[in-house]
Amino acid sequence: MDHFERRLAGLLRQDPEPVPFEPRHREALRAGVRARRRARAARRAAGYVLAGAGLGLALTLWPHGPTDDRPAAPPRPASSPAPTPTTTPAPGASVSEPPSRSPDHTPSSPSMTPTDTADSAPPEDTSSTSLPPTATHEPQFATATGRDHGGTTPPATTPVTEPAGTPSATATG
Amino acid sequence: MEQARAGEYDAFVAARWSVLFHLARLLTGGDRHRAEDLLQESLVKLWFVWPKVADEAPEAYVRKVLARAAARSARRRWWGERPVEELPETAAAGDLSATVAERSRLEAALAELPPRQRAAVVLRYYQDLPDRQVAEALGCPVGTARSHAARGVARLRRLLADVIEPVG
Repeated sequence: MDHFERRLAGLLRQDPEPVPFEPRHREALRAGVRARRRARAARRAAGYVLAGAGLGLALTLWPHGPTDDRPAAPPRPASSPAPTPTTTPAPGASVSEPPSRSPDHTPSSPSMTPTDTADSAPPEDTSSTSLPPTATHEPQFATATGRDHGGTTPPATTPVTEPAGTPSATATG
Repeated sequence: MEQARAGEYDAFVAARWSVLFHLARLLTGGDRHRAEDLLQESLVKLWFVWPKVADEAPEAYVRKVLARAAARSARRRWWGERPVEELPETAAAGDLSATVAERSRLEAALAELPPRQRAAVVLRYYQDLPDRQVAEALGCPVGTARSHAARGVARLRRLLADVIEPVG
């Protein structure tokens, strides 16, 4: 510490005029403490309100709708009981793929054309019309009645089997 | 409990007010009003930590808060002048003693320093704190505090050349 620094320290430590702690200082301190306490309380209350609002918002936005809670994988095997591998969709394939399945139906069901299926079948109907047993049963039933009953024609299926013509021909012959 | 706490606090503030105010005045470069505001702020902060620091070093806590607040508030633009309706007291010729004149020059020179240099000089030469405690009070590394103090003293050396004459 050189001369200047010693002199500087002496100047800084010169006894200043005493400043008494006056009542106005005390009042100002009390007011400052009260203001700071109020500010703290307000900040804490704002924090609680924000936390509550955030929690409420999170609970509101929490996904709990019936469509979302329904499991996606299990109903698909149950809704596609087609025994033939051509009509059974792949596990990953969705129900809304009618154009790929409609050509498979045309050989088994003579009354349905690809254009009919594509035009008249909305996505909801394809799930019901994509059941191949109903379509493939008709020809089998027609031939079975022809074999089992011989020459007797069943009353209910007569109009259906008339266009084929084979049961009546085998019964007479 | 609250009454005892308030009593201890009031006693401490009343006993140390003058010394702390002088420190605040030096830290603000002689601005009396700003020094009072700074000291009020620091003592309000002291009230909320009084149970923790009352038995240890409340004055050191106030000193640290004062130094940091002085450095921080001076980073904001501070014009240091306030319009008043009446002119402040002006010194008459021959009214001032040499000591008061030196003191006024010293405060004016301190006001010329950047706030961190001023705080480092005041803590180092007025409070006689070692570099480590100056650094702790300012919240900076020891080398930085030492650098602030050295630069501040170098500048004061130029500003106060006619007041503090070098030994020939």
